[in-house]
Amino acid sequence: MHDQQLADWRAQALKLESEVNKVVVGQQNPVRLITIAVFARGHVLLEGDVGVGKTTLLRAFTRGIGGGYQRIEGTIDLMPNDLVYHTYLGEDGKPHVSPGPLLMSGQDLSIFFFNEINRARPQVHSLMLRVMAERTLTAFNKEHYFPHMLVFADRNQVEREETFDIPSAARDRFMMEIPIVVPPAHDIMESLIFDTRFHDVDQLITNVEQDILKFDQLNSFAKVIQENITASPALRKYALNLWLATKDPLAYGIKVSNVDMKRLVLSGASPRGMGMLLRAARVNAWLNERDAVVPEDIHAVFHETIAHRLVFSPVYEMRRTEIAREMLSGIVNAVAAP
Amino acid sequence: MKAPKSLFSCLLAITLAFTTLPVTADVVLPSVDSKYVSIREINPTRDAGYVVGDKLERTIILTVKKPYELIEESLPIVGYEHRYRGQVSGIELANISTEEESFSDRSVHKIHLTYQVFKSGRVAKPAILRGEIVKLRHNGKTEIRQVRFPSFNFRTSPLSVYGEVNLKNEMSPFIPPFTISTVREYQIIKVAAGVLVLSLLGLLYILGAHTWLPRMGGAFAKAYRKVGHLPENAEGLQQSINVIHQAIHQVAGHSVFSNNIDQFLQEKPAYQPAKPEIERFFSLSRQVFFDTKTPLELGMPAKQWLRTFCRHMRDCERGLIPEVK
Repeated sequence: MHDQQLADWRAQALKLESEVNKVVVGQQNPVRLITIAVFARGHVLLEGDVGVGKTTLLRAFTRGIGGGYQRIEGTIDLMPNDLVYHTYLGEDGKPHVSPGPLLMSGQDLSIFFFNEINRARPQVHSLMLRVMAERTLTAFNKEHYFPHMLVFADRNQVEREETFDIPSAARDRFMMEIPIVVPPAHDIMESLIFDTRFHDVDQLITNVEQDILKFDQLNSFAKVIQENITASPALRKYALNLWLATKDPLAYGIKVSNVDMKRLVLSGASPRGMGMLLRAARVNAWLNERDAVVPEDIHAVFHETIAHRLVFSPVYEMRRTEIAREMLSGIVNAVAAP
Repeated sequence: MKAPKSLFSCLLAITLAFTTLPVTADVVLPSVDSKYVSIREINPTRDAGYVVGDKLERTIILTVKKPYELIEESLPIVGYEHRYRGQVSGIELANISTEEESFSDRSVHKIHLTYQVFKSGRVAKPAILRGEIVKLRHNGKTEIRQVRFPSFNFRTSPLSVYGEVNLKNEMSPFIPPFTISTVREYQIIKVAAGVLVLSLLGLLYILGAHTWLPRMGGAFAKAYRKVGHLPENAEGLQQSINVIHQAIHQVAGHSVFSNNIDQFLQEKPAYQPAKPEIERFFSLSRQVFFDTKTPLELGMPAKQWLRTFCRHMRDCERGLIPEVK
């Protein structure tokens, strides 16, 4: 029963990937990672330069996943209540209140897309933190549930003016932080310039088949994946060693150039982070038609699920991306399996 | 009475003639002008410590300029024993040989002389290789001149000491103390030192590289031996795979997984011939440790295949090309 279900859903997942890859070219790895996050039921944070296709990528996924879709733009004057409700004067001259983006789709909210999340104030981050963790919100004296909601957010690290760093507690709520870079292949770069279909994003997105997945079944199916994809004792030991290495890289002989390793790590990966790593690894194993997780499944998602959770000494925060990448590569190279 | 008187005169004359004959033979000729001759001598390196029977060799290189030329017959003859004041000197010419080289303006005579000591005494005594006299003829004239070679002074020693000898009086300053030859001992000590240095270098290598010979005792050679000692059961198989994983890790310098085999082979191209087996090994490892459903066909028991794989990897490690099927 489950085998057939797993196979059917795998076909749909691969179809979703293929549809997204049609409109966002040269981003096969980020597309695979977002697919994994969708089936692992994890929120996704995209990070990259301006105009590299982060928003297009997320919109394409949103269309394929189906369900309610809401979007908000991060701005410096955005307040938490802007996510919950709008107030306006009606035609009758009286003040009216209407649901904000979080409440508008009710329980059918499938994707909440937060564009440029780092432009919003910490108060907004705080609200999002709760919604992401608990998928509930109290408003108008009522508890609102968003059982199918995934938060897709993007942030642009180039501009620092009028932006607010997402605190580590909020970063930890995201299953993955996926870097998006311009594809290096010259033919793809050329088509991005000259192929006119890439110039109109709204039109481009319509090329993705709508509602490929049944969004309201994703939670239950994600559970099926997690229950049916096994992890052997050797893999558990390997994952444990990886975790310990993120906490004390020096003990595993890991070095990062021009970094005092004794001072670097304030906090390694969190238990929630390691749980998300294994959830994502199981989905990767399922997408690769396996019943068990292997170390390569963990490698496939290791950087993206762990790097943004590491808490470094403030002196190294400016070099976070580079240091995290080097340190996590060192961990993968140093920790042996079995 | 007249006849006996003349007979007496004749006898006197004959007697005189015979007695003066040797004097006539040893007549001293005028020396040749030094501008016509030059002499270079090569004397024995030692000038003391000769005992009866010893031979001394010296070479005289005589250059005679034209118009003079050497009268070969005036060279000393073998067996000639020099006398001094009527006493034999005890130094006899034992051999002579000459080489001549003629040039347009001169002739060069290389005269090799070998003298033998025929005297002995109770104490060290001075002796001399006489400065031989040779004669030169003026070409085209009857004029004969002589030239004398320089003499060579040396000392003879007694074969043994007779009776009581006061060493203080008898010690000759000309004889160095006799020492025992240490050449052989020096040779032995040099050879021994060489062997010691080589042994130390060998020891250093063995201790440093943990191997007897270069390219031996590598990670896979050790793994091959370890795998051979592990039991033929499921636990032994897991341990064998572990041992080989460790060997690969050691050779690569980092963890190797099935998704970075190509990187490993790029870094260590010596293992390229074993690529199909390396991939199969990772499939076996995956099947044993992580995913029992991993499809795999080894064609022989896993433990036996691991031994073969390990041997092939050891061959690669030693720079050989294994026969991978």
